[in-house]
Amino acid sequence: MVNILTNRDIIEAYLREELKVVNRSLPLKRKLLAELLREEYPHVITRDGGIHMFRKSELKLAYELLGDELAGKLYLPIILEVRTDLKETTLVVKDEVAAKLIARVLGLSKYELPLYLYPVHLQELRKKIETLIQYAFTLEGITP
Amino acid sequence: MSQFQQILRITRPTKIELIKLKRRIKVARRLHRVLKDRLIILTQELISLIRRSLELRTKVHSELVKCEGLLLDALSISTPQVVEVYANTRYSSVTAIVGSRVVAGVRVPLVELERKEATIDYSAYPLTLHEVGKCYDAVIEDISRLAEMEISIVKLGAEVARIRRRVNALENILIPRMENTIKFLEMKFEEREREDKMRLKKVKELLTRRSQGG
Repeated sequence: MVNILTNRDIIEAYLREELKVVNRSLPLKRKLLAELLREEYPHVITRDGGIHMFRKSELKLAYELLGDELAGKLYLPIILEVRTDLKETTLVVKDEVAAKLIARVLGLSKYELPLYLYPVHLQELRKKIETLIQYAFTLEGITP
Repeated sequence: MSQFQQILRITRPTKIELIKLKRRIKVARRLHRVLKDRLIILTQELISLIRRSLELRTKVHSELVKCEGLLLDALSISTPQVVEVYANTRYSSVTAIVGSRVVAGVRVPLVELERKEATIDYSAYPLTLHEVGKCYDAVIEDISRLAEMEISIVKLGAEVARIRRRVNALENILIPRMENTIKFLEMKFEEREREDKMRLKKVKELLTRRSQGG
């Protein structure tokens, strides 16, 4: 056990592996909301070759909240970047249209870009648009 | 030696080893941070799923009781054969689409029901029968959602347990041992420095004594 723990490479490799595990399920290519609404089985292909499906009712809710014009600009799934370099668990949304949708779901009248979210916000997002969001873990200096 | 005083086995207590160890502890702390964040998100997801599935299960139970009551009412007006024909011809097809979605690296199932309405003459059946149909539609929808949630709970629970073990190992064993080893090495170097200083002093004294004597 001690030998494993003393090996620096093993700890770094494990950290990389852990980031890979989390981020391997991110989509290879995101799709527009308008495009997904037309699909019979709305889904995207993930990096590990699997699929991430969207609930049709949630897509419709997003369309209702954004309207026709923005539906052609919103890329799904929305990536919530988990900032592990910050002390508190903080999630960041950089995309403008995605931030607008999230603000409307959460009922935020004022917000700025990037939109910072905290675990308390996730509960509401999970209830209404759980299939439209995905988490990405980032770490400065070490890339998965 | 208690668990909190344990140190890592190092081949040679050198300064290079100390630098390496300091770099390693930085990486271990980062790994701990990533795992902890993931654990927070997954635990929240798990708790929310458990809460929702519990609510849904209660709802399904009460709905089933309600539907049974409605069915009994309908059976007092229509014959069982009519009810069966109505149930079989209401939809031309009911398909359960089973896909998957990803929650913080964990693949969980997603079930959606797709119904294709059949063209039946609704006026040929009593109104109570339509109510029964609607009631069971809601139940089936909820049951498919419940199945999805319960499998997700099992999968997320397993992942939470796996991550918690790792977080605990980092928090209670690896990082404290590294910290102790760093402290131990630093103390050893300080001691060595003090010894060197003393040795130099003694050599200096010896040399001055010799030069004065000579």
